[in-house]
Amino acid sequence: MSATAALAPRATTRPATGRPTLRHVVAAEWTKLTSLRSTYAILVATVVVSGVLTHLSASASSGDPGFDPLRSLTDGLVLAQVGPLVLGVLVGTGEHGSGAFRATFTAVPRRVPVLVGQTVATAAFALLTAVLAVGAAVLGILPAAASRDITPDLASGGTPQVLAGMVASLVGTALLGLAIGALLRRPVPALVAAVVLLLVLPVALVLATELAADPTAAPAGGPVPVAEAVVNTVVTLLPAGAAGLLTAPPGSSGVEGAPDLGRAGAALVLTAWVLVPLAAAAVRLRTRDLG
Amino acid sequence: MIEVEALTKRYGSTTAVDGLTFTARPGTVTGFLGPNGAGKSTTMRMIVGLERPTSGTATVDGRRFADLRAPLHAVGVMLDARSVHPGRTAFRHLLAQARTHGIPRSRVDEVIALTGLERVAGRRAGTYSLGMGQRLGIAGALLGDPATLVLDEPVNGLDPDGVLWVRRLVRDLAAEGRTVFLSSHLMHELALCADRVVIIGAGRLLADAPVQEIVDRSARAGTVRVRTTDPDALARALLAAGADVTPQGPGVLHVRGASVDEVGAAAGRCGATVLELAAEGGSLEDAYLELTADAVRYRGRSAGAAASLAREGSAR
Repeated sequence: MSATAALAPRATTRPATGRPTLRHVVAAEWTKLTSLRSTYAILVATVVVSGVLTHLSASASSGDPGFDPLRSLTDGLVLAQVGPLVLGVLVGTGEHGSGAFRATFTAVPRRVPVLVGQTVATAAFALLTAVLAVGAAVLGILPAAASRDITPDLASGGTPQVLAGMVASLVGTALLGLAIGALLRRPVPALVAAVVLLLVLPVALVLATELAADPTAAPAGGPVPVAEAVVNTVVTLLPAGAAGLLTAPPGSSGVEGAPDLGRAGAALVLTAWVLVPLAAAAVRLRTRDLG
Repeated sequence: MIEVEALTKRYGSTTAVDGLTFTARPGTVTGFLGPNGAGKSTTMRMIVGLERPTSGTATVDGRRFADLRAPLHAVGVMLDARSVHPGRTAFRHLLAQARTHGIPRSRVDEVIALTGLERVAGRRAGTYSLGMGQRLGIAGALLGDPATLVLDEPVNGLDPDGVLWVRRLVRDLAAEGRTVFLSSHLMHELALCADRVVIIGAGRLLADAPVQEIVDRSARAGTVRVRTTDPDALARALLAAGADVTPQGPGVLHVRGASVDEVGAAAGRCGATVLELAAEGGSLEDAYLELTADAVRYRGRSAGAAASLAREGSAR
């Protein structure tokens, strides 16, 4: 590493006097995202989890009399979405966790374009991951379908909407992770918060109402108890509930007692879950010291 | 050009930087000195826009950092060698930085060659030694071929070869008409490469002057040290001639107000045998320790003892 020979930093190719435009910043964030091993590890893990879990689930129910392999498509999604979630959290916290923010924000001192660049880069990579993961899920149901001599028809019966909803919910989950990461800045609290919000909270709420409900009362068909309706509404408005609606086949009713948001409503709810923490992160970035 | 005017930063009730005013000019290496906690890093972070001043201004070429049109081309910044994601290679780190300004890949290769990182540029930065991290930080600062450089402790962790390289690099950068502003704990290092030094203590400006002027201000500058077999007789003779004499140990006197020749002549007259006789030069270190003696925020057992130890050390 003897560098004493090279001295003056005279640029033989004088750098173009470019500026940190949004296009440049997006390119820089894409370079950063695609230069980490973890990014590719997450892509592979997400695709494998999606394919394998869907395959196992479809195979397990392939003996049922009314087996429809297409109904198993979304069975791997709950765990597969952890991948994009972690990807987003890592992008959101990567700058602050490592000190890289010094280099980043002295190059882009207006700061907020960095957040926009991270959002675009994460969305693009999550889209690629999501398409591959959904592809793996489709492949996952084929053996079980073949065992019953069923050829799944992906082009009809609302399946295209389900597949698109799966892709959208995976991309949305990645951006949710990014937003929480960018807001909280430290990887561990951000990851815990994201996992609690996405995975633990909906299950915990439903379990809590089931425990609190009187098991002898309210037989099926009766009016939904108020407490259950409230909890179901809350669960529907959580990211996981919105993702569930996005991936439900068209025509399926919403959760009991909760307002039926529809596909567009669910997309809006998920978008709000991304935009609100992202806006808070932008405000924090813009108004607070870094260091 | 960096202009800092009445710059103040408070965190709650703590004042980290207190009404600081100085200028770092083009064609000059300006050294930035101060004890730990004096506010050096805070000042640098305010100059490059990572922190906001409570009051006052810090501008580069007349603009606040955040208002610079193309920051990488205006100011090269290295605040900390650990400003890289440990999982990213040096090349990709620099490439990402370059892309923010549309700087071509060829320039990335250039700064890698310039900083001697060719062989390790494909390794993840987390595996780097402190010295390699410093070189990477300097590479990032040079990326945009900027007119101003802000370097926090650039020689920290470098091997002697690297120290020499940085010293020549900053001299060359200034010779090309650039503004170089660098902090260091190594006074000796600053004395060799800085034209001017800004010294702060407890957030306040203590001195802002050419290196030589500050050295000459040191209490030891212009004194004569003499070791003799008969210090009492020599002291009497020198006092009679109007000089100030301070005993400094067995047989050793520090004389102020008389030249080496005059001290030698006085010794001859009174018959004291001279064992050692030398003019004492001041050093930047002495001047610094005297200036900051009252402003050291994190004191060891005795700052005074440390100062006199350092003085004895450099006199030896």
